[in-house]
Amino acid sequence: MITEALPLLARGLAMTLALTLVTSALALAWGLPIGLLRLSRVRWQNWIGTAYVETFRNVPALVLVIIGGFALPNAFPHAARRALFFDNSSVAWIGQITGLPVPYYAIAAVLGLSLNTSAYLAELFRAGVGAIAREHFEAARSLGATPGAVFWGLLLPQGLAAAYPAIATRLIHNMKNTALASFLTVPEFFKAIQTAIGESFRAVEFLIVAAGGYLLLAALMSSALSVAEGWLKGGRR
Amino acid sequence: MTRATLDFLWSVLPSLLIGFPGGRPGGLALTLILSLAAIGLGFVIALGVGPGRAAGPWPVRAACALYVEFFRGLPLLLLLFVVHVILGGRRLGLDLSPRASALIALTLYASAYQAEILRAGLAVVPDQLVESARLVGGRAWQIYLHVRLSYAVQVMLPAFAGQAITLFKDSAVLVALGVGELMTVTRSALGSDVRNAAYWLPTYLLVGGLYALVAFAISRLAGRLERRQRSGDLLYSLTNY
Repeated sequence: MITEALPLLARGLAMTLALTLVTSALALAWGLPIGLLRLSRVRWQNWIGTAYVETFRNVPALVLVIIGGFALPNAFPHAARRALFFDNSSVAWIGQITGLPVPYYAIAAVLGLSLNTSAYLAELFRAGVGAIAREHFEAARSLGATPGAVFWGLLLPQGLAAAYPAIATRLIHNMKNTALASFLTVPEFFKAIQTAIGESFRAVEFLIVAAGGYLLLAALMSSALSVAEGWLKGGRR
Repeated sequence: MTRATLDFLWSVLPSLLIGFPGGRPGGLALTLILSLAAIGLGFVIALGVGPGRAAGPWPVRAACALYVEFFRGLPLLLLLFVVHVILGGRRLGLDLSPRASALIALTLYASAYQAEILRAGLAVVPDQLVESARLVGGRAWQIYLHVRLSYAVQVMLPAFAGQAITLFKDSAVLVALGVGELMTVTRSALGSDVRNAAYWLPTYLLVGGLYALVAFAISRLAGRLERRQRSGDLLYSLTNY
């Protein structure tokens, strides 16, 4: 009974991994600039950073996912809804690559999860930069470093290094959050488990498989992240 | 926003806040009740598990580590079903209501994070503090309770607050069991009526706003507490789970 469901579960696991990778990458790519905005002394920049962080950190990830997936399309009349979200060439293209039945739901899940995680990462990055010794900034300034050099040479490596353990924790939390995509019927691991239970009525067995799967993912991710930490530290020297 | 939308939001707001009329407490009120209860009960468990993992005979340490890694490694959504179906299922004879399962799952989830926070706090208790307590004649249990533990809890207050906020927001997934908290009420209020489609976006924006408002209020309150406690900010950044 579990062997019958194996292909389904394997596809679910692959989808969870893909969601984790894409959302982590997007969250890092958005979170760092937002963290810099939060550090800015220019008032409007700081204000934008704060608004972003407070909004996307304080609204539950599930609410973001449902707003993107269900509530937003529902705001449009039927014909426009189909054309905008479910039945156009770019959505069809994504569906072709990923093999998803309703690609828009995966897009909405990715957006919601990335926005949520990026807000947390922005805050952690800001705290990490705050932990950099003042002397380093003064040294950089007295050497005549350009703002770009200060960012790439000082803020990014040292800020990330200081915040690394917390960022790693948050990225693992983000991996667990990908289970929320099941609310949008994205066929990731948790949804696959639900489907398997629905087909076999073996709830206990499949829930144990699910627990094992997520624990394994969390353990793998945490060791991968600590290997990456070793790299980053080695690279800086 | 049209007049009809405003009317709709106005008509569902009481249900969102305190649940449907005539029923048990629901909506935001139930979300708060469940979160607070889980945080309180979870802390009691954490008081055993956190110190147990920090310092104990190795079987205790291993058991506590297993506990933490298990309940922290699962998505809350999955934990909810594990508790409801396996623990609460007929096989074990507990036959839990969704509400009870939700409370148990939230408690287990919260306790694992709180135990880790407590462990991190115990690790930074200054030796001098413990030594001086010993010098003034404190007994072992007195030192543990009044010095180590109380220092650890105080220095970790911001992390505990952050965890409480996270739990409050994560509780949104209880809708999967239909517990009657904020997300469940929202879902039922919108129902499957096609004519309600236009209300989805404003309603969920309102619900998101409610969550954000409460989360923001708790973090402000915690910030004020923290300033009074003048605890370390680096610790906060490293342990803000």
